[in-house]
Amino acid sequence: MKFSVFQISRKGGRGSNEDRMGYCYTRNSALFLLADGMGGHPEGEVAAQMALQVMTAKFQQEAKTDIEDVRGFLSSAVLMAHRQILSYAAEKAMLDTPRTTVVAALIQGDSVSWVHCGDSRLYMVRDGEMLARTRDHSYMEQRQNEIPVMKSGEPVNRNILFTCLGSPANPVFDIAGPVNLQQGDKILLCSDGLWSTLSDVEIIYDLGLKPVAQAVPDLVEKALDKAGDGSDNVTVIAMEWETPDAYAPTHGTVSTDSINDGVFASTVQAGGLDTLVDDLDDEAIERSIAEINEAIRRTAARRNS
Amino acid sequence: MAKVKPAPLSPSTVIGGYRIIRKVAAGGFGVVYLATDPEGQQVAIKEYLPASLTARAPGELLPQVQPEKLSLYRLGLKSFFEEGRSLAQISHPSVVSVLNFFRENETVYMVMNYLEGASLQDFIITARDQKQQKVFRESTIRSLYDEILRGLRIVHQHKMLHLDIKPANIFITDDNRSVLIDFGAAREVLSKEGNFIRPMYTPGFAAPEMYRRDAAMGPWTDIYAIGACIYACMQGYPPNEAPQRLEKDRIAIALARLRGIYSDNLIEVVEWCMALDPLSRPQSVFALQKELSREGERRYTKLTVTEKVRMQFDTMVADTKKSVKSVSGMGGKLK
Repeated sequence: MKFSVFQISRKGGRGSNEDRMGYCYTRNSALFLLADGMGGHPEGEVAAQMALQVMTAKFQQEAKTDIEDVRGFLSSAVLMAHRQILSYAAEKAMLDTPRTTVVAALIQGDSVSWVHCGDSRLYMVRDGEMLARTRDHSYMEQRQNEIPVMKSGEPVNRNILFTCLGSPANPVFDIAGPVNLQQGDKILLCSDGLWSTLSDVEIIYDLGLKPVAQAVPDLVEKALDKAGDGSDNVTVIAMEWETPDAYAPTHGTVSTDSINDGVFASTVQAGGLDTLVDDLDDEAIERSIAEINEAIRRTAARRNS
Repeated sequence: MAKVKPAPLSPSTVIGGYRIIRKVAAGGFGVVYLATDPEGQQVAIKEYLPASLTARAPGELLPQVQPEKLSLYRLGLKSFFEEGRSLAQISHPSVVSVLNFFRENETVYMVMNYLEGASLQDFIITARDQKQQKVFRESTIRSLYDEILRGLRIVHQHKMLHLDIKPANIFITDDNRSVLIDFGAAREVLSKEGNFIRPMYTPGFAAPEMYRRDAAMGPWTDIYAIGACIYACMQGYPPNEAPQRLEKDRIAIALARLRGIYSDNLIEVVEWCMALDPLSRPQSVFALQKELSREGERRYTKLTVTEKVRMQFDTMVADTKKSVKSVSGMGGKLK
């Protein structure tokens, strides 16, 4: 398996970047991930990070040998991430849950499958033409003509998402593939910061023409320029499929042929539980103990009253 | 590669004002001591000391944590805190109560009521060795679980699951109370496959969903274990473990043998609790309590002759298979 990959995330005019991206691979499969933590809810960056980590951990676990049921893998990985976010929120007794979109492409052998939830997109390009693109889970994308009306009589914001990971309702997600890969095929995952500013034609043009190591930074730069000061965060990860040994490896190419079975490489820290404990420093330990003792006193007071 | 377990604190060590008397138990995540508080009252102290992550030489106080295991150590510490936090909010005679929580020796300690008595497991073993038809009387079983379920209901109300209910974790005190012990932390073990923490389970009492990585656990998971505990109180032995049941379920047959000895209602309650499908079980402790406390005359349906014959036949077949197996096993050895 051989591919070149390039990823970049740039903060727009916003206070923080809640986009996360990454990829991981074994000898015979690779997973590309992108999540966009949602504003309007707390800790979007945690939700996005968690989605990546949980899915990476599941990949690490299952991709030791070939994943038998690719679609099953994608759907359970998404659901696991969703549940992990919910339990994080429950654990912290948050009033509102952190939420995120996610899009993930899984390559195994020489075909690709993908899953997405929300409005982070996947574009697949072959010979300069768009072969596939995900359809956002927004009212605008799903029902072009029929815009729902709220109780108040106002039309619903067309950009609003009706699903994501981390919301109390179960996520709606779509799985596509497997699609056979051909030499030179390119797959790009991006947050809405890219596609809300650049049209599909612009995205496909750059992606089709240039190697990913050039196309990705160019596209991100263009999007930021065009959106100006108020730009959303722009995050893009793209890969180009190369036929093994057809060409001398170019810069940034990953060849998995030389790695052994059982080896797992990742730009995402696998886990899902680890981030939750990193903050358990001395101060947090003292705080926990104080809280517990306070609860013991309260309970004892109740018992004696 | 056997790893040396961290040594427990020696008797007479004083920690947080408590004087250790002796070690009373050790589990994967810590050691429990009998100790006395400054007033001379007996207490139980649980020390966070995960055997797989820490080392401590005899006579030492501070546990050593290998640097690469530090994040797991912290993770475990977190569930230890969770156990303390949840128990601290609960005040119920059927749930072990926490008296204090403190930090010392670079680890943490949970002080609990010291209970005198014996576990339900000890009682079951004693009772079954008497070889009576009944292990426990039905009225004993009903009142015992009435108490336990009251406690468990409070636990669930605090959004906490026990996840390791078994006769060894139900304590019968000398003043005749039954108390649920060993919550939370002790059950989080590291799966060998990666940085995943998942609950440890006890075969026979663990619901089928506990064997799966990605299954929803809830009150119904503890309820399965309650059913299995009642079963053990009737049979004297734990039920077959869940994976075995998924292959071939003999629970119904085993319970049918108890017909006429225990009431139909009690047998049905056990079957209901132990349904393999989580959704087919009582979904809350309350639903189970309602069924278990149902008044009215108990009906006993004895086995018919045909049923008895069929059962004997089943046993015969099973025994023959076993003996065939053991004979061929011996043949293998002789070669």
